[in-house]
Amino acid sequence: MSFKRFETQDIVISSDSITGPAWSNGVTALTSFFTSSIQAAGSSGDYYLDVFQSDPIVAPDTSVTQFSIAYCDSLGSGSVNFNDAVPFRTPTLSNFGQYRTLVLEDENSEFIFGDNTNLLTASNFYAISVDRARYKEAIFPGSFNLTLSASNGFKKIHLTDNSNVLAVNTFLGSTRVMQVVSGSNGTPVGVNGYVEASGSYGLFLPDLGTILLNPAALSQSLHLNTSRSRDLSGENEDRLFQAIKDGANFSLSSQETISSDFVFVRLRNSEFNYSENPSFISGSTGELIYNNFINQPQVYITTVGMYNDSNELLAVAKLSRPLLKDFTKEALVRVKLDF
Amino acid sequence: MGYLNNQVVTVDAILTKKGRQLLARNDGSFRITQFAVADDEIDYTLYNPNHPSGSTFYGEAIENMPLLEAFPNDTQIMKYKLATLPRGTAKLPILDLGYSAITLQQGGTLAITPQTLNYLGNQSINETSGYSCTVADIRLLSTFTGIGINTPAAQTQNQQSSTAIGQNTSVNQTLGTDVSATIIGTQINLRGTTVNTLYGAGTTVGAQIRTTLTFVGIDSGARITIPLTITRTS
Repeated sequence: MSFKRFETQDIVISSDSITGPAWSNGVTALTSFFTSSIQAAGSSGDYYLDVFQSDPIVAPDTSVTQFSIAYCDSLGSGSVNFNDAVPFRTPTLSNFGQYRTLVLEDENSEFIFGDNTNLLTASNFYAISVDRARYKEAIFPGSFNLTLSASNGFKKIHLTDNSNVLAVNTFLGSTRVMQVVSGSNGTPVGVNGYVEASGSYGLFLPDLGTILLNPAALSQSLHLNTSRSRDLSGENEDRLFQAIKDGANFSLSSQETISSDFVFVRLRNSEFNYSENPSFISGSTGELIYNNFINQPQVYITTVGMYNDSNELLAVAKLSRPLLKDFTKEALVRVKLDF
Repeated sequence: MGYLNNQVVTVDAILTKKGRQLLARNDGSFRITQFAVADDEIDYTLYNPNHPSGSTFYGEAIENMPLLEAFPNDTQIMKYKLATLPRGTAKLPILDLGYSAITLQQGGTLAITPQTLNYLGNQSINETSGYSCTVADIRLLSTFTGIGINTPAAQTQNQQSSTAIGQNTSVNQTLGTDVSATIIGTQINLRGTTVNTLYGAGTTVGAQIRTTLTFVGIDSGARITIPLTITRTS
């Protein structure tokens, strides 16, 4: 026999949560930020601004989108009308509706930054949408650290999520949400890290890979003067990008759950001791190449094949070096298949 | 294809092309139920039973060799399976098809009845569990069936392979794709494709296309691969 059936206990399914650096090349903290003039000038530039870890003009092969910045406004301010016959229907309004549907799941709900007595009902916000390949399944709460700097460089704020002080998860619709606050590594500074009378700095949505920032709070503490001009490009994405670039620190970790099959291949001493390898026999009659192989065959395992009932090879595992097998040896090979 | 680090024993596991195909099919056919082990890459002529340093060193040339990473093509790996045979076996089972190569005309048919030699003390037998036959490129056959084995697994397998070559188009299946197909039986029936486009533009009568057929004795593990050629006739 050359096939052996697995026993029930030979296949174990396991799920592990894996966290790691979010940015390209395993970098935890981005310190340099670039945009693409081609993307910004294109049709997508009306809606969002892609941010890269290296200059896409200088290194087009290695430059990869890390995140995007969008400005969202319920009044449609900060961008030009799609059509002058229909005023204030603009990309920023489309952005606002998109995130309202995605996050609030109710077109009559409003974005509220902060809680209790310090909250702000916002009609506009910035959205930082992390590239899916970067955050994988979710952003790891507590790993978010973003430094924003005023253009003159004299004022800096350090933002994080408040996951460390939340006793229980909070949700907006079905979306897990945390407040963006002043602080670091998931812990706010002061009472709650909010801005007086402006609520929190935003909302942290780990399962959507999205961070919403509150323009009122940013204006108050950083003088990031968001433009709400009607039918005029406010270039607000550029304002936030410049603050991120000058802050020179955006750290994030990704989180994903990897389901694995652990397959235990058990080879008893009396099993798998002869080979169909053509060099194991001599001539065309099937005689063994060496006489001592008749009673003491020695074979070298290099490959484990996993099959279905129809003998179709579904997965294969190679050992890093040959494993000697004979009638005096048993072997146990553990194979991990990730999905 | 890179080498694996052989300073420590590790296992490099991947899904095969067939595994990915069945996973995508999402019909339950991707279910690992059995395993086999093989000694691909091992050349036993390197084993030296006359080594002057003694038996510990007989396998010296084999044991330290680095191995290549796994190939995803299921027809290129697990070529030489290890078999469980009684101790004292002097001759290993080998397959006899009656053909060392097969050439069919377009639409031509052939029935192959493999025999296993040297298995369990028999000079020649037809294995109880039958034989699996894998065609590396299914496009070359318009009929590919196995008969003689009526286990549920064999029947399911044979139905899926029939589906794969378009006999049953009611099932979602990508047709005309260069993938392998495996059937099980004691007799394997082939019919060459009648599709001319496989020969390429500008070819004429007499042009040939070629793939391989791999037979494996399910009980013995004996294996043989032969070329299959289909000759254009129209």
